[in-house]
Amino acid sequence: MTTLDGLASIFPPTRLVRDAAFQAAFASDGLTAFRTKPLAVVFPETKQEVIAAVQWCRDKRIPFVARGSGTSLSGGSLPVADGIVIALNRLNKILSLNPAERIAVVEPGVVNLHISNAAAAHGLYYAPDPSSQSICTIGGNVAFNSGGVHCLKYGMTSNHVLGCEAVLATGEVVTLGSSSVESVGPDYTGLFCGSEGLFGIALEVTLRLLPKPEMFHTVLVGYNSLQAAGDAVSAVIDAGLLPGALEIMDALAIEAAEAAVACGYPPGAAAVLIVELEGPQEKIQYEREQLDEVLRETHPFAQRVARDEADRLFIWKGRKSAFSAVGRLCPDFIVQDGVVPRKRLGEALVRIEQLSTEAGIRVANVFHAGDGNLHPLIMFDGKETGALERAEELAAKLLRLCIEMGGSITGEHGIGMEKRAFLPEMFDAPTIALMDRVRRAFDPELIANPGKMFPGKEAESLSLSGLHPLEKAGVISRE
Amino acid sequence: MNNALLAPAHVDELKAIVVSEKSVLPVGNRTKAPLSAGSDGTLISLCSLCGIVEYEPSEFTFTARAGTPVAEIRTALAEKCQYLPFDPLLVETGATIGGTVAAGLSGPGRFRYGGIRDFVLGVRFVSGDGQLIRAGGKVVKNAAGFDIPKFLVGSMGRLGVMTELTFKVFPKPQATITLQVLCDSHGQALERMATAASSRWELDAIDYRPDAHAIFLRLAGPQRACAAIAGEIRTTWGEDVSEPPEPSAFWQSVGELKWSANGTTAVKVPTTPQQFIALQDSLAGHAQITVHGSVAGNVAWILLDTSASLSALDTQLQSMEIPGLVVRGSGDQRAVGTWKSPAIQQAVQTAMDPAGKFSTL
Repeated sequence: MTTLDGLASIFPPTRLVRDAAFQAAFASDGLTAFRTKPLAVVFPETKQEVIAAVQWCRDKRIPFVARGSGTSLSGGSLPVADGIVIALNRLNKILSLNPAERIAVVEPGVVNLHISNAAAAHGLYYAPDPSSQSICTIGGNVAFNSGGVHCLKYGMTSNHVLGCEAVLATGEVVTLGSSSVESVGPDYTGLFCGSEGLFGIALEVTLRLLPKPEMFHTVLVGYNSLQAAGDAVSAVIDAGLLPGALEIMDALAIEAAEAAVACGYPPGAAAVLIVELEGPQEKIQYEREQLDEVLRETHPFAQRVARDEADRLFIWKGRKSAFSAVGRLCPDFIVQDGVVPRKRLGEALVRIEQLSTEAGIRVANVFHAGDGNLHPLIMFDGKETGALERAEELAAKLLRLCIEMGGSITGEHGIGMEKRAFLPEMFDAPTIALMDRVRRAFDPELIANPGKMFPGKEAESLSLSGLHPLEKAGVISRE
Repeated sequence: MNNALLAPAHVDELKAIVVSEKSVLPVGNRTKAPLSAGSDGTLISLCSLCGIVEYEPSEFTFTARAGTPVAEIRTALAEKCQYLPFDPLLVETGATIGGTVAAGLSGPGRFRYGGIRDFVLGVRFVSGDGQLIRAGGKVVKNAAGFDIPKFLVGSMGRLGVMTELTFKVFPKPQATITLQVLCDSHGQALERMATAASSRWELDAIDYRPDAHAIFLRLAGPQRACAAIAGEIRTTWGEDVSEPPEPSAFWQSVGELKWSANGTTAVKVPTTPQQFIALQDSLAGHAQITVHGSVAGNVAWILLDTSASLSALDTQLQSMEIPGLVVRGSGDQRAVGTWKSPAIQQAVQTAMDPAGKFSTL
């Protein structure tokens, strides 16, 4: 207990917890294949307490992991065995919302969707929408530069963060960026976004809000082959359209979604494509004609347009529930988020199918087709000896496929714990050495979220498997 | 002022120069002269490292060497009905893509989809220890590793010598319509810009010319959709709304920072809309200084001629505690106002440049 002495003077006993139940509750995040019990969990209620906790960690050289809702799919908020978890859920205030300047300043524990809810009264919203948006927090979104279904048109989290105040691993408090969308000098805000918690903890984040699109035009299209759906995506892009979303699901994913939420997708479809246009009605009227024309040429066997907002959400329900739905088809699965160039999507899917057949492992596919962001769901039963290892082996092959095709090992989930071994396959040694130096500039003692992003033996964890408890409950879903 | 200018023809030569020279500073076409003025380092011109390396219209991406003129890129994209939505600046003047990233400049189109930071996907650069670094990626979505490409936006060549850049592009809108809306006061202009920015209209650009008491709204998209929305804007603000006689000349004057007879010096000042108005008001007494507001009041572009005017601006920005970047001018001064570098800056600069080849930011 002596090691936590100083910490106990910062936090009352109710907010400095080290009993077994809490340690177990915080032992894993959205990547349930890994579990590690932290030394303790602290629950700061003010930014001063976060700063004090980080400074205590610095003085004692004790690692810390910042955590919001723990929805990371790459094990980004996996605890470190000899470290503390700083749970930011109580820093959940929207500090200001300025409708005239279209910005909001929020604490890191604010849930993504709550920002759009608060902005709705002013006709505004916060664009990045990871599938877990009803529960994931902005602090985590910033740390992992989270994506969502609208990235092609609107970019990722980073594109919507104007600035932040953060406590670095050195204990220093810095202000990066400002309240203007423009800046001068190197873009520290851009560097901080996606740093996977390796630099420090965001205390206040300034976000850009956008006017809500006046109108959506959502089309659900059924195809007889995955290839045909992939070709349709290229046709839409080549026509010069810029849809807000372009999503594909394969037969297995459709089957799962159908069983879970009865989403009414075209029966017998080998693949469905969801295309969503958004904007002022005058533009949509024109673009929907264009889209109809393009889709006609792609020989769909079924097609329907959302009649109203309820119907639109119904179409999206199938897509948004796909991941947790796949959990019904098998006890465990690994989800990845590699990216391939859009024109090689069809080829990538064929290769995934081959590799899946060879390995005798079922893989369901759901993906953000507009930006080539795959989400293969590799199914296995963790109770079978060697099943996790075989699934991981297949996952490794899929990651290498993405690199080989000129893409990326992660489009939106981050490297985290999960893919750290692959960083050296994506980047060469001088590039990793430079990133390592940058990391050490922010964190010379390597106490901020160690064991993530960079390959190595830091922070080993016990490997287990299973669906996230919140996923089982249907509260969260994987992007 | 500077005693050497080397122009490597390929990356290996560039690496050797960085290793052998004591201190270096990369330059492109030097359209933003103050950014490289006053340095005692060896200047490395990237103009020979030029040309589009890859362009995949169906991927919405291209890769070009750092010394490629933006004009060349713009032409290649236009042939495939695509464009860089952030409206790169000083294109006619001769800006290169590398210099545009290093200066961190975006134009009026930044309003709709984001700035240059939001469109740069990947970068190759030579670090101070002579290594070729490949950061980011070549696909439109990528979350692997630190976002070094974004960090180099605005780095002014002081964190590495960029050799190649990959960008995201978008389909070019079929048509644009520009409307000019006269305003009684800066307060009314501010109010109308906020209304326009939050409206259903999905505007492409919202700029403000205080001395003309006019805001300029650009609509982009299918012609008949733009025309219909323009009709609604006319209904909203009645006789205050008109179509300026030569809209493309207007936007070009903004893009080249040449909307005023004076303007040998041009300064970029990031602002909030409130700060923009405060700055405009405080400078109103200086006849030699003209201000243009871009991105719905998020940038003040300031043109002036004399060192006295620059000094007056400097004083004003310091009192407001905001920074300004001198992007055109004959002097050595590139920073005016108050620059608040994070405490971590020196450590990060050392990490990026362990050999200390670049001058500090």
